[in-house]
Amino acid sequence: MNGSSQIAAPLELCQVTKRFGDFRAVEDVSFTLPQGSIYGFLGPNGAGKTTTIRMILEIIKPTSGSIRVLGESSALKVRHRIGYLPEEKGLYKKMKCWAVIAYFATLKGMSRRVAKRRAFELLERYGLKDFANSPTEALSKGMGQKVQVLAAIAHDPEFVILDEPFSGLDPVNQQVMEDIIRDMAKRGRTVLFSTHVMQHAERLCNRILLLARGRKIFDGTIADAKRTIPRRVRIETEDDIAPLQELNDVVAVSESPASNGHATTSASKHWELELRENADPQEILQVCFSRGIRLRSFNQTDPTLHEVFVRLVGPEAKEASFR
Amino acid sequence: MKYAFLVAWREYVENAKTKGFWLGMLVVPMIIFATIQVPIWLQKKGTPTRYYVLVDQSKSLGTVIENKIESGYQRRLYNELQDYARRNSTAAGDVGKFTPPSFDEFKEMGEAGFLEKLRLHLRSGSPPFKVPRRDFLQATLPSNVNIEAPLETIAEQLRPYLRGEKRVKVDGQSVSLTAAILIPADIDKQVVRPGAKRSGSANGIEYWSGNLADTQLREEVELAVNAEIRQREYAARGLDARVIREVEQTYAPIASLNPKKEAGQEAVQSVDVIRQWAPSAFVYLLWISIFAIAQMLLTNIIEEKSNRIIEVLLSSVTPGELMMGKLFGIAAVGLTMVSSWIVAMVVILTWKAGTTSAVPGQLLQVVQSSNLIPMFVIYFIFGFFIYAASILALGSVCNTLKESQSYMAVISMVMIVPLMTMTFIPKDPNGLVARTLSWIPFYTPFIMMNRVMADPPWVDIIGTTVLLIATAGFTLWMAGKVFRIGILRTGQPPKLLEVLRWLRRKS
Repeated sequence: MNGSSQIAAPLELCQVTKRFGDFRAVEDVSFTLPQGSIYGFLGPNGAGKTTTIRMILEIIKPTSGSIRVLGESSALKVRHRIGYLPEEKGLYKKMKCWAVIAYFATLKGMSRRVAKRRAFELLERYGLKDFANSPTEALSKGMGQKVQVLAAIAHDPEFVILDEPFSGLDPVNQQVMEDIIRDMAKRGRTVLFSTHVMQHAERLCNRILLLARGRKIFDGTIADAKRTIPRRVRIETEDDIAPLQELNDVVAVSESPASNGHATTSASKHWELELRENADPQEILQVCFSRGIRLRSFNQTDPTLHEVFVRLVGPEAKEASFR
Repeated sequence: MKYAFLVAWREYVENAKTKGFWLGMLVVPMIIFATIQVPIWLQKKGTPTRYYVLVDQSKSLGTVIENKIESGYQRRLYNELQDYARRNSTAAGDVGKFTPPSFDEFKEMGEAGFLEKLRLHLRSGSPPFKVPRRDFLQATLPSNVNIEAPLETIAEQLRPYLRGEKRVKVDGQSVSLTAAILIPADIDKQVVRPGAKRSGSANGIEYWSGNLADTQLREEVELAVNAEIRQREYAARGLDARVIREVEQTYAPIASLNPKKEAGQEAVQSVDVIRQWAPSAFVYLLWISIFAIAQMLLTNIIEEKSNRIIEVLLSSVTPGELMMGKLFGIAAVGLTMVSSWIVAMVVILTWKAGTTSAVPGQLLQVVQSSNLIPMFVIYFIFGFFIYAASILALGSVCNTLKESQSYMAVISMVMIVPLMTMTFIPKDPNGLVARTLSWIPFYTPFIMMNRVMADPPWVDIIGTTVLLIATAGFTLWMAGKVFRIGILRTGQPPKLLEVLRWLRRKS
């Protein structure tokens, strides 16, 4: 939150709770989105992501807590400045692609003429020019989704909420989607997107919010997230590694199979060392030299966001997916 | 409100593009046109000339039949001439209005005389008179048939002609034979009289024809022959045929009078009959239009729901705006359709008025001189809102069309009542049943529409309308509540109790 005191944050949630009968879909969730950030909204299925998004958009009301969107207490007051792509995608089947985009843009306050021009512009830019006059039912699923994304951002909103924007897209179009998101952020727009595919989040997000069973588990930068689980060092050696196990910084040592699948030379083994927080991997290397442990390879790996995710929500994620 | 308008505009434009809409627009005018035009057209062109042969061994009845057929044709020719005169004569100029000759005068002067008399009155550029085709024309007997031979032999010889295997000649042209009329020489002896037993084997006059459906010629023969036989019978019994004819033509007049009309004009004319029944036609139109567009609304809302388009919409507009937009958009679609029907009807009636059939003109007069059309529009609008609101609420709680079908059945059942009472109401427009049904808001538009021409009491007109508007408002309010909650719901449709709970919930 640097220098945002004069500009209201695009989104502020304060102790938001939503109950459906006895079921607590979202419980006591608070977070703030900085202006111009790409914010990943992560969590296993049924974590409460879509419910939170619906509350942000005022499609449903929270049971308790407060939500401020672009400085307003009601998203409907600033609806022109918000773009939304829902999780389940659908379009008017008989309408032409350009007309769908233009229609949603007019609902966001654009004049019909400008909206039409903008629709054609976007369709051309994202390679759907030839389909501009086709009914949406003639499109493939991926193309349809692209049209829907374009409809969500046609009015150039300051704040965009994308619920699972990558699902159903092939790798090429996933890339296009990523480009769209990066492009918006570059122009100072704030993007909140939910996903359960960590690679996208890892590549795109400045910050992530991790939700499981309706509760916030983590909120911060990706680097922060990775720091929550121990760093690891992988080494390959034929020598005894006992001296390393005695080190203070090493929390655990385990033998691991060869990582790259190549056949290893007979005697060499792969080891994975789990380090204490703030430990310096360079020190391990120094110890190896000083104790005469000959290394075939030394690999300092950052944990992936996927690992962070599994570590943080692991048991709950499994539970959730079987509900 | 701007957003409600945007939603309405999209609904209107998208629905106006569908085939169903255009079909609906065209079908009703086409039906109106066909109802008026087809009978005229059938009469003119429908049946071709049919050829018959006549073998008259009695030497007396044949001419009777020929005369009857000829006079039928003369009557038709006379009517067509009159029609032609009405269409093409002008009232302007020194010659004054053309007064057609009576039928008896026409029989004297013939077609040429009639046209000669008309000539001065004809508008310039009038098309020439087209002589109507004869219904029946006598063909010459094939040369191998001996008219003195026994009837069985003649029938046997004519068989291939009647079956269409051989053709007969008429004015040098070969045509197919439709019928053969064979009159035996002793037809006088075969006449059946009361009390007398019919002599066993004899057929009387034999009418041979492969076409059983077309009985017109047979009927002509029967009428002509029996009239002649009876004439002879009167003579034989010493009765004065002329006196009998006079007796047969005596009658006591009976007039239908309508107490609601001005003194001196109570006589019931065909216009009055039309006046009484015209509302029923409007009820039917009202019913079709409301039902059709209510269905449209249902499929529309369910499409949005099942496609989850609704979420995007609700991030841009409030549920209230969305509902209003839909209602007004679809109402506009319905109004367009209905007004096109009315315009088409007036145009067709104006165009056809004064032609062969008198009905279009009278219908036009009724429509113009009454408040049928304004009432239709009013009842359409409020009727639409009542049903549309119910259907929107219903659509918002269902996820698929299939799911909504069972609920729709209930609405259909409610809606069938005005259709069933449609023909009954005009017979007793201010009776107990009509009045009671009028006060049920869901039926008010249909029943009151049906009673429009029967001067219902003011209490009924104002009271039911107020109740109708209030109910429409209330239904909309309820629908709004259900819609707001139902629209985002997925899974099973809610139980009735749950819906009632929604209604009690505050905003």
